This record gives sequence, structure tokens and C-alpha cells, in this order.
Amino acid sequence: MGLIPDFKKIATRSPWIYRINAGSCNGCDVEMATTALIPRYDIERLGCQYCGSPKHADIVLISGPLTVRVKDAVLRMYEEIPDPKVTVAVGVCPISGGIFRESYAVLAPIDQYIPIDVNVPGCPPRPQAIIAGVARAIDIWRERL
Amino acid sequence: MSNQIAILLAVLLFPGGVFALAFGLAMKGVDRRVAARLQSRVGPPLLQPFFDIIKLGFKRTMVPAAANETVFLYTPLVGVVSMLIAAALVPITSVYAPDAAIGNLLVLLYLLMIPGIVLMIAGSASGSPYGAIGFSREMALMIAYEGPLVLIAAAVAIRTGMGMGGWATFSLNDIVAYQQAHGSFLFDPVMWPAVAAFCFFYPANLGIVPFDIPEAETEVLEGPLLEYSGPVLALFKIMSALKKVVVLSLGIVLFFPAAPANLAAGFLVWLIKMAVLMLVGITAVRLSMGRMRIDQAFVFFLKWPLLLAVASLAVVVVV
Repeated sequence: MGLIPDFKKIATRSPWIYRINAGSCNGCDVEMATTALIPRYDIERLGCQYCGSPKHADIVLISGPLTVRVKDAVLRMYEEIPDPKVTVAVGVCPISGGIFRESYAVLAPIDQYIPIDVNVPGCPPRPQAIIAGVARAIDIWRERL
Repeated sequence: MSNQIAILLAVLLFPGGVFALAFGLAMKGVDRRVAARLQSRVGPPLLQPFFDIIKLGFKRTMVPAAANETVFLYTPLVGVVSMLIAAALVPITSVYAPDAAIGNLLVLLYLLMIPGIVLMIAGSASGSPYGAIGFSREMALMIAYEGPLVLIAAAVAIRTGMGMGGWATFSLNDIVAYQQAHGSFLFDPVMWPAVAAFCFFYPANLGIVPFDIPEAETEVLEGPLLEYSGPVLALFKIMSALKKVVVLSLGIVLFFPAAPANLAAGFLVWLIKMAVLMLVGITAVRLSMGRMRIDQAFVFFLKWPLLLAVASLAVVVVV
């Protein structure tokens, strides 16, 4: 009986990451690409791996204020990600809309539509903050497995 | 009867099955770690591929509405089984010799085609346009690299067969025994074009970076694998790990099976050869090159490896 919890513990060492751009200005996306891709903040050491397909993902990083035009696409994409999954909102836009908050084209806060587990505020957030957010997401993910 | 049990054990335990799977995944781990170090990163733990497989076991499998469910879910099984059997066909000098009934180069060539076909079927069964693009690219690439492979195999078989006083022999055990007695083909100038052609072939067959066009994650989002999730995706990972062991091991058998007669020493030499083949032919190549376009890869394969393979066959027949 002890095997399954052990395997679950091992499983959390392999979080695969998928990014959704919900109308972001690209600032947060650049930061996210930076945290994973340059040697200095190598998050492959946490077992993370960017994947091209939402169906392979465990942790979803969402950036942007959720514009009206991308809402359906984002919701559909979110449904394509198999359970158990954890959502991380990167940047201040998913929380409040950030600098776009008064716009008629913006639906933020994003957690009206998608359950958000971790918020990483900032405009854009520092790479260290994003890594901390991913690490927090891994803890939440462990409870869900 | 004991014969059949031996074959079954070879397929399930060693050198197929458990051993090949663990070894293939460990090679993948070393590959990722070394790649990270060469890029001055820390890199993932050595056991990362094992973690990935276990993780995928906990995920939900989703079948897209447009997919043919039966084909979608069961083709990867065919691929895994074919690779398990293939792993049991390849001899390891002085460690393992396959049963004479199955250790045949031609059978191995057919089995090696199955993973590619499985990817094609899986891609088209998933009902995704990216899967369809992956399907067409995989097919083009297979047409390009299967020709050289067959010619390489023929060159080795004819060289061995003529050396043994016949015409061609396709028994893998005979190929190993002949090279043990007369020196490895790697040091035989007549076989050098075939060796070169094989060096081009195996990154393509294993889907390593200059030739990973069907699964290019930046363009077609992993193509045929796009719609797969959970345990079924794990089957694809397992299939490619097994395939890596089979193809590299086949390279050793065809060109450089020389090893001491001692069991432990023979195994150690095999491990070293596998490591060299992997680090030089896979890790270094995939880090130092960009991905080709499918038309470039197709023309490249019909030019150089095919030319080399034809040349080697001609030289072998004439000399």
C-alpha cells in the first residue's frame, strides 16, 4: 500500500509547463521564456519542461488580462489540459487587469472564468517570483494527485 | 519448450523488456543531463525520464472527439510490443545471443519500421491537423531513410556471407561471429561508406534534432503526439526509449561487435560503446545543429546516405 504515495511523490518531480497568453502585452511571456530557457534560472532542474501541447501539461501559466476576443479560445484550451492540473496566474493583469483595467475589451479578473491556484503579481514579475510560483504550484499539485 | 521460455524471457527481461526499458530511460536521462551541462545549466536529475513516465501514469487520458478511439488508444501498444521483440533480437557480444529462430536481420528491419508506422497511424487517428502534418512528414522521412538502411544491411549481410563462403547471411549471430573471427567492419575500409551512411541514418530514425521534423514542437506542436495525454503518452515515451536501445545496439552489431569473451567484460564494453554512440551521435549532434526542413532532409537523405549506401553495396559485391 505504501507504493502509491511514493509514486505520487515521485510524480511531482516532473511538472510539465504550458503557457497560455490571454491577451498579454508579452512582457510576462518574455519573463517566462527567460526563466526556463536561459542557463541562469534553469528550471529544468525542478524537472520542468515546456510542452507544445496542452494535453501534456501539468502546470498552466496564464498571463494577460483575458481580452474578450480570446476568452473562448482560452477556456477551450483550459479544458484540454488533463486533470490533475494547477493554474498559475503570472503578472498583475490576471488579478486586476493591470494597466488595461479600464478597457472595454478586458474581462479581468481572470478567476471569474478559470480557477486560479497561485498568483504571481508584478508587471512583469521577476524571474525568481515566477520560479517561486511554480514551486508553490508543485506543492498544490502534490495534494491533488 | 525451453527454447520458447528462453525467447519469452529475452523479450520480457533481458535484453528486451525490463532491462531495455530501464537502460533506454537512463540513457535519455544522461543525454538530458549532459546536454544541460554543455549549455552550462544544472540540468534535470538523472532519473528524470523515470519520473516523467510515473507522472504520466497519474494523468487522465483524453480522447479527442474527432479521433477514432480504438486506433487512437491501441496503436502505441503495437509499437511498444514490436520494440520489445526487436530488443530480444539483437545480440550483445559474449553476453547474449538470440535464438537462431528469431535472430534475423531482415526481421529486425521490419520491426524497426513499426514505430514510424505507429506514429503515422496515431497521428492520423487523432483527427488533429497537426497530427496529419506529422503523418505526412514522418512518411516522407521514412521513405528517405529506409532505403539507405536496407542497403547498409544488405552490404553487411553480403560481406559476411561472402566471407563465410556463401552469398549473403542475415543471421545476426553469424554477423557477430564472423566479425569476432575476422575483425570488425569498422576497421575494414570496404565498409566505411556503410558506416558513414549508418551514422546519418540513426539520428533520423530516432528523431534527433536535425531530423526531428515530424515531431517538431515549435512548428507542429509534437505532431502525432499532440493529442495524447496520460498513460498512452507514456507508452510513446517507452517506445522511443526502447527504440533507442535497439537502434544503437544494432549499430554495434553491424559494425563493431568486438568484445572480450568474458561475460562481465563483454557487457562493460557494450555499455561503453552505447554511451559513445549516444553522446557523440545524439547529444552532440542535437545540441550543435538546428532542425532541417522536411524538403531539405528528404533531399539530403536521397543524396548522401543513399549514395554512400549504394557505393558500399557496390564495393562489397565487387571486392
